[in-house]
Amino acid sequence: MVTREDVENIALLSKLFVPEEELDSLTQSMQEIIDFADEINKAPSSDEAFDNINNLSNVFREDEVVESYNSEEILKNAPEQAENHFLVRNRE
Amino acid sequence: MKYELVAGFETHIELATKTKIFCGCTTQFGGEPNTHCCPVCIGLPGTLPKLNRQVVRYGIMAGLATHGEIAEISKMDRKNYCYPDLSKAYQISQLYAPLTIGGYVELSSGKKIRLHHIHIEEDAGKLIHQHGDTYVDYNRGGVPLIEIVSEPDIRSIDEAREYVEKLQQVMRYIGISDCKMQEGSMRCDVNISVRPAGSEKLGTRTEIKNMNSINNICKAMEYEFERQVDLIESGGQVVQETLRYDDATNTTSSMRSKEDAHDYRYFRDPDLVTIHVTKDEVEEIKASLPELPTEKCKRYVDELSIPEKDAQLLTKYRNISEYFDKACKGVKSPKTVSNFIIGQIFSRVETESDKEIFDVAVSPEQLNELVKLLDSGKIRNNLAKATLEKMLDSGKGALEFISESDMGGLDENAMLELCRQAVESNAKAVEDYKNGKEKAIKALVGFVMKNSRGKADAAAAEAKIKDLIG
Repeated sequence: MVTREDVENIALLSKLFVPEEELDSLTQSMQEIIDFADEINKAPSSDEAFDNINNLSNVFREDEVVESYNSEEILKNAPEQAENHFLVRNRE
Repeated sequence: MKYELVAGFETHIELATKTKIFCGCTTQFGGEPNTHCCPVCIGLPGTLPKLNRQVVRYGIMAGLATHGEIAEISKMDRKNYCYPDLSKAYQISQLYAPLTIGGYVELSSGKKIRLHHIHIEEDAGKLIHQHGDTYVDYNRGGVPLIEIVSEPDIRSIDEAREYVEKLQQVMRYIGISDCKMQEGSMRCDVNISVRPAGSEKLGTRTEIKNMNSINNICKAMEYEFERQVDLIESGGQVVQETLRYDDATNTTSSMRSKEDAHDYRYFRDPDLVTIHVTKDEVEEIKASLPELPTEKCKRYVDELSIPEKDAQLLTKYRNISEYFDKACKGVKSPKTVSNFIIGQIFSRVETESDKEIFDVAVSPEQLNELVKLLDSGKIRNNLAKATLEKMLDSGKGALEFISESDMGGLDENAMLELCRQAVESNAKAVEDYKNGKEKAIKALVGFVMKNSRGKADAAAAEAKIKDLIG
């Protein structure tokens, strides 16, 4: 059972603000999502069968250096930047 | 009431791979901010991490070197938390199926500190807090780590110190990390609690972070032990929390507030496939490991009759022990080799970091040659010592300094002649000896040694001189 407290907690962990009046409807939506996902538990199978549906294991890279991106490229999508760093503003 | 300390360690060690755990960016320390990055290690949507083969190998090596069991199947999990040091808002780690399970670190007392497991994971980025804002550099983000989690088996500060030193030593021996605490390539979090001595029940623990040297770990633990005891004695209760150690004030303070209580919602990372390690692979890696320091130390004591203290010095760093092993090949007395290394050679390699590198002017083969000359009785100890000094100064071999005429003992007549000369030219010492001053004989023996250029046998000379003046 998803409770209002669960939704509040998830919002907190995700750093999201949820207005009081939306809590009930969100709790209900969340319950529907969980119920939908729970369908999979009805499938007659062990945990292992879903573990690795492509039958893949040991997909490795060799330890060889590949050129990195330059910092302009890396910072291109940063909301804010300063001195070649991502900048995170203190909002408190 | 007497209290007992109970502690366990979580030790992060940066692996010495060339590239990051899930992409080909370099792991080099430092560098201009955000220049060792790519879309994978800054966690852009649509990228696919791919595990570095060498990380798995190093993790297995760490497990084997600490007597752990290597998991046939292990998996990567996501540890979710929202903080700017993780651009993806999760760290890829292992919780449910770590790479190695169990194992232990043996202290010199014979006590074993059990390990819970070792897992592999990615490091987070570096945060610089200034002007109230946070500057983020992701160069370190995605650098591979192993986390070694111990059981709460540590009962004293001394045990804690030795545990960390032993881990550091063994990880350096097998070459998977340089384990430099100051540079952050080895970091320890300590879980610590206290309980009345004799009690079996564990007390409430706190976790201390942010210590960058072994000395600081010990100081922080001492402080925290006192703090918890005082709290209990005064009727209070220890609160389970994470503490930050501040070495400037030598105190601990609370790091996280309650509403941020850990809730990492771990789940299997769907981007990464199962790691499957076969028994053959484990055997192959086991065979490739060097002899480990604890075993080496035991072997030196048991088989080579090296005193335990000396054996510990010889095995502290891999380079020293390998030097010793080479210099010992075929010699009669490994103890002599050990004495030369710990005495004359160490006096020229003073700092710990120099000892670790152990770049000595005299090669182990050259030392071996010198000791064999000594073994065969061709030269005497004082000459060997003086020769080693010259070898260390010049880097040249023993035979550069020892002539044919220096070799071979003194014949009887020459010895007798020198002893006579000693008695004749040291009347004062002879008289002192006759008057009961035992030590005066040393001056006479010294004369013989000097004038034979170290070829005489000191004990034989002493006996002969006693005969002469007897």
